Amino acid sequence: MKKLIALLFCLLAFPALALDGAAILKKVDRNLEPESYEMLRKLINIEPDGKKKEFVLYSVKKGRDKIVALFLAPQSDKGRATLRLGDNMWLYIPEVGKPMRITSLQSVTGGVFNNADILRIDYTAEYDVENATEEKDRYLLTLKAKTGEVAYDKLKMWVDKKTTLPTDIECYAASGMLIKTLRFKDTKDFGGGIRRPATIETDSPLYKDYKSVMLYANIKKRDFPDEVFSLNYLPRVEDLRK
Amino acid sequence: MKRALAGLACLLAATAWAEDFKFDAAEFDKQPFEFGGYLELKTDRSWLRRDGSFYKLNGLARDTLDRNTATLKLNAKYTQGIASLKLSAAAEQRRDQLISERSSRFDEAYVSFKPDPGLTVDIGKQALKWGKGYAWNPVGFVERMKDPNDVELAREGYTMLAADFIRNFADDGGDLKTVAFTPVLLPVGAQTNQDFGQPNHLNVAAKLYLLYRDTDIDFTWLGQGSRGSRFGIDFSRNLSSALEIHGEWARLQDVEQRRIDAAGNISSEVGDATSYLLGLRYLTENDTTWIAEYYRNGSGYTESQLTDFHRVVDSGNPALLARARQISPAYGRANAGERYLYLRASQKEPFDIVYFTPSITLIGNLADRSYSLSPELLYTGVTNLDLRLRATWLHGGEHSEFGEKQNARKLELMARYYF
Repeated sequence: MKKLIALLFCLLAFPALALDGAAILKKVDRNLEPESYEMLRKLINIEPDGKKKEFVLYSVKKGRDKIVALFLAPQSDKGRATLRLGDNMWLYIPEVGKPMRITSLQSVTGGVFNNADILRIDYTAEYDVENATEEKDRYLLTLKAKTGEVAYDKLKMWVDKKTTLPTDIECYAASGMLIKTLRFKDTKDFGGGIRRPATIETDSPLYKDYKSVMLYANIKKRDFPDEVFSLNYLPRVEDLRK
Repeated sequence: MKRALAGLACLLAATAWAEDFKFDAAEFDKQPFEFGGYLELKTDRSWLRRDGSFYKLNGLARDTLDRNTATLKLNAKYTQGIASLKLSAAAEQRRDQLISERSSRFDEAYVSFKPDPGLTVDIGKQALKWGKGYAWNPVGFVERMKDPNDVELAREGYTMLAADFIRNFADDGGDLKTVAFTPVLLPVGAQTNQDFGQPNHLNVAAKLYLLYRDTDIDFTWLGQGSRGSRFGIDFSRNLSSALEIHGEWARLQDVEQRRIDAAGNISSEVGDATSYLLGLRYLTENDTTWIAEYYRNGSGYTESQLTDFHRVVDSGNPALLARARQISPAYGRANAGERYLYLRASQKEPFDIVYFTPSITLIGNLADRSYSLSPELLYTGVTNLDLRLRATWLHGGEHSEFGEKQNARKLELMARYYF
């Protein structure tokens, strides 16, 4: 009888002790960005000899999987705009004059960041939590892509327990090959209750000695009409800026 | 002392590194007036084909032709409330051993009103671009023809009144995510849009766009007016994170085709035509992008019709040559034939050289098996500077499309600086 009670106790206690990876991931999403927002980002590609190329993007996002990014600099890329609706991505180049479909593995900027990094939507929209474990002061979430259209088949995400913000993410191809590592740094208060890393650094075994950095600024909660996230609106994204 | 110096050096290096990562967002505040553009310098050498029909028609008497071209492109935008004025102008100076000429034009000059994110009204000269094809757009009913050899080349627009109505249903969870409707009024008169077609017509066109089940679908239409009426459909869809497919289909009514037969008789025939295109874009694991398109040009010339034209030129008869010269713009236009293949492979950043993109493009006439082959090296590693080196070989048998062009080979170096 004692044994039965002990077993019952263990069974009842186990779910409470198990990590809820999905809940952690959901919190990571909201801690990184509000569901709808606008922001500025600077992307810096650094070559092995220290030479740099910089891009500045204005981005707006709505819901879990709608995001638009407009290039403000350099002049050679100014006016280019990219749109992502779930798994669909388009690039608008003013000289070409119409949006064309692009894929998540391509890169509109060159360097280590690809389109999926630049047009990142909520992790919960693209990944399921396969496993969640605890380390000293971090959680380790193993994420599996929901579909074959997601850029990385698997992610290993280390999440700071105190802030529930990611510190490192390793991105893997379906073959198991490590594609790149993202490192989240310089946690900063952006105002409006948004406190998150202001810098993401990345490197890749595929680009030896190259490095790319993404800097965040002016992250603000803002709601946008759905029509903004459509192909026909891409040439006019600039009009959203205040 | 050495340690102190080393420490100082480390400190300075660390400061420099930290400075590199600064981001002053205020530098990018929105301005009501924006201005930009580029200056492009291009130098090219063409090796001419003395036995080519177009060499004879153009009356050239040399083996090579060296040309220098300078292009200044200016873009400006002024925004005030819901209205904005957009200007896009280009000035060009060309000089070779035969001619020196300059030209300037407004590619676009229009006012845009945006009372609501779901509604835009544009009045003025603008370049609408319809269709999903990379090299050709059979459904592009209200635009000037694209040059498949340089698909990003700026094209002059037409003066029109156009509107854009957008509705997005992405949050409804249904299969239909977006609907957009673009009606267009395009007048043709003695001073306006003369090269669009017959004068004294107010042409009506429209495009209906749907994002349905993750597929872009457009229905396009142009009513009877300066040109015969036409309608079409296009689509584009990603099949995976690395593969996109697209297509266009268009039915054109009352298309006029001017022909010359082997005896030198010029005739004109009006009929209906169907054009279509199927294509794909595929990114390999090694970062090679392949673009392949098959194009059926319903209003193009058959192989025997093209052969007749070249035979007339070959006849050497001055009277026949004059007739051929009269009709040569139709036969000499880009892709005047019926069936084409476009194939382009570009390798992103090979040998770990970032911003370096070598590519090779093949445009082939499937009927006469002639083709042009263009390897290209593009480097964009210097901020705001594009450098491109491109060579082109045109190959084909006697009386074939690419075998009768004026050039046999061409080498071109281009530098474009954006400001």
